[in-house]
Amino acid sequence: MRKLAVSIVLGVAALATAPVMAQKAFPERPIQLMVAYPAGGSTDIGARILAGIAEKAIGQPIVVINKGGAGGQVGWTEMSRQKPDGYYIGFINLPALNTVITDKNRQAIFDTKSFTPIINQVLDPGAVWVKADSPYKTLKDVIDAAKAKPNTLRGATTGILSDDHLAILMLEEAAPGAKFRLVHLVGGAAMLKETLGGNIDIAFDNVGSIVTQVKSGQVRALAVMDVERSKFLPDVPSTKELGYPTVISSSTRGIAGPKGMDPKVVKKLADTFKAAMADPEHVKKMSDVGLAVKVMTGDEYTKYYEDLHKKAIKYTEWAKKEQK
Amino acid sequence: METLNFLLSGFAAAATPANLAFALIGCILGTLIGVLPGLGPAAGTAILIPLTFKLDPTGAIIMLSAIYYGAMYGGTITSVLLNVPGEAASVITCIDGFQMAKQGRGGTALGIAAIGSFIGGIFATVALVVVATPLSTLALRFGPPEFFALMLFGLSLVTGLAGRSLVAGVLMTVVGLLIAMVGIDPVVGAPRFTFGIPELYDGVGFIPVVMGLFGIGEILITAEKPYKEVIKTSFAHLLPSAAEWRRSAGAIVRGTGIGFFLGLIPGVGAIIPTFMSYITEKRLSKTPEQFGTGAIEGVAGPETANNAYANAAMVPLLTLGIPSSPTIAVLMGAFIVNGLTPGPFLFQERPELVWAIIASFFIGNVLLLILNLPLVGLWAKILEIPWQYVCGGTLLFCILGAYSINQSVFDIWLMLIFGIIGYLLRKLDFPIAPAILGLILGPQLEKSLRTSLEMSAGDFTIFLTRPITAVLLLLSVTVLVVSALHLTPPQLREASED
Repeated sequence: MRKLAVSIVLGVAALATAPVMAQKAFPERPIQLMVAYPAGGSTDIGARILAGIAEKAIGQPIVVINKGGAGGQVGWTEMSRQKPDGYYIGFINLPALNTVITDKNRQAIFDTKSFTPIINQVLDPGAVWVKADSPYKTLKDVIDAAKAKPNTLRGATTGILSDDHLAILMLEEAAPGAKFRLVHLVGGAAMLKETLGGNIDIAFDNVGSIVTQVKSGQVRALAVMDVERSKFLPDVPSTKELGYPTVISSSTRGIAGPKGMDPKVVKKLADTFKAAMADPEHVKKMSDVGLAVKVMTGDEYTKYYEDLHKKAIKYTEWAKKEQK
Repeated sequence: METLNFLLSGFAAAATPANLAFALIGCILGTLIGVLPGLGPAAGTAILIPLTFKLDPTGAIIMLSAIYYGAMYGGTITSVLLNVPGEAASVITCIDGFQMAKQGRGGTALGIAAIGSFIGGIFATVALVVVATPLSTLALRFGPPEFFALMLFGLSLVTGLAGRSLVAGVLMTVVGLLIAMVGIDPVVGAPRFTFGIPELYDGVGFIPVVMGLFGIGEILITAEKPYKEVIKTSFAHLLPSAAEWRRSAGAIVRGTGIGFFLGLIPGVGAIIPTFMSYITEKRLSKTPEQFGTGAIEGVAGPETANNAYANAAMVPLLTLGIPSSPTIAVLMGAFIVNGLTPGPFLFQERPELVWAIIASFFIGNVLLLILNLPLVGLWAKILEIPWQYVCGGTLLFCILGAYSINQSVFDIWLMLIFGIIGYLLRKLDFPIAPAILGLILGPQLEKSLRTSLEMSAGDFTIFLTRPITAVLLLLSVTVLVVSALHLTPPQLREASED
């Protein structure tokens, strides 16, 4: 009897402490960090650099998994269905996520409320580039050619309704008469391959994807779609100085989780990642690769997320008009 | 000659005790990853990347590359012994390899696979040194239309897998293609045939399907029959006999060529060289009816092709910075995270590093051979365990493997359902390999077709005006027509002669 009583007391004591222990103990097992694009693209690279540094601080492995397809929809669908316990989080790319939600054709099973934004990592401005021996030397060359032979120049994006897609539409709007033949590839690596191989004439992607290739002389960047030049490509003019101040496009990559996450877990993740992003190793590696870090957390990130969504509704209309 | 100097200094760097150790660890880990179904080389390599943070960049890359081609070999072991393909590249080895195991020649199958892989890998690395840059620029000409034509050509070769009934083979290919349609449309993004089941959004999982059709299907068929005698493997039979060598020699040479050339084209995927090698061997053989019952060329060719492919697939990465496959993309991520960006820049800036890595490919291939040949006897001993225990073990192994992919019970159910389907197909004498081919090639085929049409603004003549595409399409049509003529049933032929 005595033994039984002691066991019961100990058991209850153990159970009583368990919830307290569980809260302090996040994370107790590896965390999955999902990237909604194939491996090797710039989102993926940024994710792996961050994961490698953050996991040392948080004490559990942070495993990057790739779930590419349908411009990110496959990965975000998967994430929206996961348990919000903090062990499955992933990168959300804006405005790509927003346009997937607003386009009825995509039948997305998630919306803006399906995710809990945690922290933003990168703000990567859009860039227009061609292969090194292309006949087009400036953005003006490209636009003139697109006006002279509408719907002939093959312009590539990394996915339907991605920021690259919208950037092409913005350019067409700002340069009336210029029309590109849109080719939607899947991810940055495919774009590099097809452009170098001559199957694509103009590539629309982001600065981060091409910095090293510009340095090695494989590709020529024609413009950066921002109000100012990129510090990684100081010789490349911005669209604003080229006379297209409305063509401003960028891709932001941040981490989010499924909706309904515990605010304490969110805070822990945000703090860990924020510290990791400030780590000199992170700064150096991201700089080497050409990815511009812009940290946003909490309310600032949530507001950015919601504001961008309103803009996305307008952009999706444009894209739909083009697709007819 | 400058190249040779670079290579020699590369060897000096790669042969330091530390780097040799890394290569060895990589080979061992890679083989283990290949043996475990479900955990593919991509996931396995990715998980091990953090391990390499503590190492210097050269050591890290050497180890990760060794894991990558080690995994290619590891998949063979389970294919031959248990009829469970470790990953996509090993599927075709199951067909003849497992039959050889059932006849007590499992050791021979593993042995010839090891030797063939070694030869394929060494040759591909040598070729890499000599012709890397010019060939890789040529390979870039393979755009979406060429891919479409290549996939179609691959599908047309299925007629060589059909066995006795061409109609059954084509039917199964179409079934495979249909299954491949399930999931989110790759270009526009709308879900198809998912019946609202979220687990199907990413398509029907390839590994559970293959493990079900091959592994579980085999277990169910075996369960039907009365208890069999234990198969004795004699050590004397570990190395192939002289006759088997002669038959395999041609297969190995051709497999190396097929694997190397396909490896240069980014995005082809490991399974296509293996299928092509198998079908080539079957067509060129004087005894094609032996294929499927334990023909050694059916193992030698594909295994050589897949290792040659794995080594050659590093070329686009090293010369142009373009990853050929998800696993190599992970490797590329590892490069970048270690501060190196693969591409022509790297060749110019840090040649000593790149050449050390290339030298380590040679060393890695040698290490794999040394590691695996002696172990072949050990692996083959597994076959001496009474069959009912092996089956039970295989079932457990498959269930763990299926679960390990996504930590989802759905995948286990999927595998079991396909296991039953696999059993029924065997009873009805339908060939399974064509369905696998359809399942793999389907998504690529569709993506290439739609991207090609986007490039041409809807104009179908793009497939005729591009030379490589047109040639491949012509070949596909030729293969189909020739097969149709050859396989007219005897009764019809006699009837028409009357």
